[in-house]
Amino acid sequence: MAEPILEVRNLTVEYTSGKSIVQAVNHLSFTLERGEALGLVGETGAGKTTTALSIMQLITSPPGRIKSGEIIFEGRDLTKLSQSELRKLRGEKISMIFQDPMTALNPVITVGDQICEVIHLHEKVSRLEATQRAKKMLEMVGIPGERYSDYPHQFSGGMKQRVIIAIALARNPSLLIADEPTTALDVTIQAQVLEMIERIIKELKTTLILITHDLGVVADICDKAAIMYAGEIVEYGTLDHIYNHTMHPYSIGLFGSIPNFNEDVRRLKPIKGLMPDPTNLPKGCSFCLRCPDCQDRCTKEKFSPVEVAPGHIVRCVKYIND
Amino acid sequence: MAAILEAKNIKKYFKTPKGTLHAVDGVSFSIEEGKTLGVVGESGCGKSTLGRVLVHLLERTDGQILFEGKDISDLTKADLKNVRQNMQMIFQDPFASLNPRQSVSEIIAEPLQIYRRVSSKADLEKQVLELMDTVGLARRLANSYPHELDGGRRQRIGVARALALNPKFIVCDEPVSALDVSIQAQILNLMQDLQEERNLTYLFITHNLSVVKHISDEILVMYLGKMVELASDKDIFLNRLHPYTKALLAAVPLPVYGTEKKKRQLLRGELSSPINPKPGCRFAARCPYAKEQCHQKEPALEEIMPKHFVACHFAREINGI
Amino acid sequence: MPEKTQAEIVIKKQSQMKEIMGRFAKNKMAILSLGVIVLLILMAIFAEQIAPYGPDDQDLSRQFTYPCKEFLFGTDDYGRDILSRLIYGSRYSLAVGLISVSFSCLAGVVLGCIAGFYGQLADNIIMRIVDVVLAIPNILLALSIAAALGPGLGNLIVAVGIGAIPGYARIVRASILSVKQMEYIEAARSIGASDFRLIVKHILPNCLAPIIVQATMSIAIAILSAASLSFLGLGITPPTPEWGSMLSAGRAYIRDFWPVVTFPGIMIMITVFAFNILGDGLRDALDPKLKV
Repeated sequence: MAEPILEVRNLTVEYTSGKSIVQAVNHLSFTLERGEALGLVGETGAGKTTTALSIMQLITSPPGRIKSGEIIFEGRDLTKLSQSELRKLRGEKISMIFQDPMTALNPVITVGDQICEVIHLHEKVSRLEATQRAKKMLEMVGIPGERYSDYPHQFSGGMKQRVIIAIALARNPSLLIADEPTTALDVTIQAQVLEMIERIIKELKTTLILITHDLGVVADICDKAAIMYAGEIVEYGTLDHIYNHTMHPYSIGLFGSIPNFNEDVRRLKPIKGLMPDPTNLPKGCSFCLRCPDCQDRCTKEKFSPVEVAPGHIVRCVKYIND
Repeated sequence: MAAILEAKNIKKYFKTPKGTLHAVDGVSFSIEEGKTLGVVGESGCGKSTLGRVLVHLLERTDGQILFEGKDISDLTKADLKNVRQNMQMIFQDPFASLNPRQSVSEIIAEPLQIYRRVSSKADLEKQVLELMDTVGLARRLANSYPHELDGGRRQRIGVARALALNPKFIVCDEPVSALDVSIQAQILNLMQDLQEERNLTYLFITHNLSVVKHISDEILVMYLGKMVELASDKDIFLNRLHPYTKALLAAVPLPVYGTEKKKRQLLRGELSSPINPKPGCRFAARCPYAKEQCHQKEPALEEIMPKHFVACHFAREINGI
Repeated sequence: MPEKTQAEIVIKKQSQMKEIMGRFAKNKMAILSLGVIVLLILMAIFAEQIAPYGPDDQDLSRQFTYPCKEFLFGTDDYGRDILSRLIYGSRYSLAVGLISVSFSCLAGVVLGCIAGFYGQLADNIIMRIVDVVLAIPNILLALSIAAALGPGLGNLIVAVGIGAIPGYARIVRASILSVKQMEYIEAARSIGASDFRLIVKHILPNCLAPIIVQATMSIAIAILSAASLSFLGLGITPPTPEWGSMLSAGRAYIRDFWPVVTFPGIMIMITVFAFNILGDGLRDALDPKLKV
């Protein structure tokens, strides 16, 4: 077994809005091994992006605040690092790709120079060498090196997302966090970009956290998946665990909501109700109000996650043996 | 069964500073009453424009639209108002498609007021509340404003507004694309139930192939303003005849694991521009099967298998028919 | 939650006023400025009751009295009580501000609606005229109109108002153009709404915020231009106690006797400042997207 590169323990993040407190992430724990690709799946408001921003230590405060927990990356607790240490880490060791390729690039700087900038920020290299490396990065993401001096508006959405990935990977970070990297793209372009991400992380041995709401994308390029609901990971395991031995009622509901491509189903089986109000989460299991198997005790107590099979962790009363 | 809506060679061009944009370029189809025609394609393929042309939110450049056998291509203002009672639209963005200054009940009441379908205030109130029941909106939300509600509930308001006049035909422009999967499933079920109850006909526009497969009886695939394939939904999924349909369907990442991992079939390049398109097949530049002929002559839509239309010079050869 | 029975549900015509008021009330500066404006208006209405002297009561023996118990703000060159004149003067200044702004606002909104909604030729004609008017310095325009029409309150209002129309037309046109793009306008068209209904029910309510803000801000500008015109002798002429003309009359004594110019100046400043802050506060309160 490889050594863990990232360990998140008991992470809790809050946002204050007016007088109410939004619990964005509650007691979240997971471990990621070097070279793995983890898919973080959940709906709007599940706390996926907050988790990612916490790992980057980019939670804006106020209104956000990491209330408790540790984020141990390569042996160091990120929550205890100084700003200058963090700056060194970001880009160098951890990179993040954001959802919208249209706004993430500076429109008045050529794409090549934007890649060079990242290299220069962290390393003392000659201009020539940086330029050459930037060209190499562009070619790696499938853009001809001659387009080095083109401006972002000369690229299409898919190409821009490639440039953003090139920037994120320019310093060969050990951890890449991709927040919905293909959501804004068309399917055929999405397939191209996913193919490229998969190839590059294998080549560079990058660890990947992929944030998405699309279970299909996770099945495509990840090794493990974590299903998030209302700031908690409700189910965690390998793809085989999650896709073929789905345990948590929310995960089951999520799969039931997706129209099946290969079978004919007349009606979908959606999850009833709506996401709970994040300022006023239920006292017990946060899914209890929408759960078809809700028991009396679900509304009263919080359950600890249970390991139902090696590496398959579920947070649900149904799997507690007592 | 008779076709409720028939479109013949619909064209919609826009003038832009760079040239003429061929948003919809010769699309023909017919929909039977009570059925759903799914229109799929990637961004910029003209599917939304097509929907808007059909309900006269945009005026077509050329072609003919028949509704219940009557030509509704050119209408006076009064006729248009009449026709709209039977043709409604549900919009993509539940955030942008509701007037932020109107309450839920005002939004739903508006079509009833415009068409004077109510006799009194009490009658209006009754009808609005009944519509809210129909789409599964709690009555206590009648006085709420859209920004107080979540995406799923807002989209229900949009559905209620479209249903208010009891139309026969509804253009649904990406009605679930902005919603989370669990909410998306609720809305899809609602729309299917309504279709069964009221014998509605849908033109369902989306880029989501699983959704279109789920809800449609027939599927129309568009690429850069052209229709490339039209067939029943089973047919298109079993026999993908056009190279673009093949690539499109193969590109969808499926939420399954374990079946041996399929090799992705990647398309080269990206969409070309629909402004002043080159002659020949619009897909030729990305097509793995393209030959000389494809760059010169535009393929016509042909019925290659029964009720299965494809626009490709080599559809038979590629598929061994 | 138990659903209410049908009998209990009443669809109320409930505006968003309450929410807007709530947001406005949180802004202390805006509340303060609203208070100042209300005071000014009360002062204008009850001038007879409040003012210790008449606006034209002369007492030549008491020329140029510095502020004292008897004359809180002092007296001017004819021995008139400056405080009383300021109180009466608020009538003219506020009237000019409010009436000219309503006039220009109405005209500007109509022009802007036509230009923004129908576009093309109408847009071209209206906006080119607007551009021409905007190319003339505002004060020069008001000056020439005032000069042509002659002095007097009514003419002053017209002179000040015409110059402000282009500003409204532009703002209204711009916000109509952006609101027109929204999907809910398309949705309203798809349920058969007429152009008039589209503009009045769907577009204008969503453009209100910038119009109201512009209106409050331009009250301040109108008061200033009216004061300037009067100062130049083209607006309200002495002895009417308009603030600008008071300034103008006191101009000669600026070096020797400060109260004649200082107090009218302060009044103008306070009023303009209050309307500006009120405009800022309204803008913040009217934007539902700012809601936290």
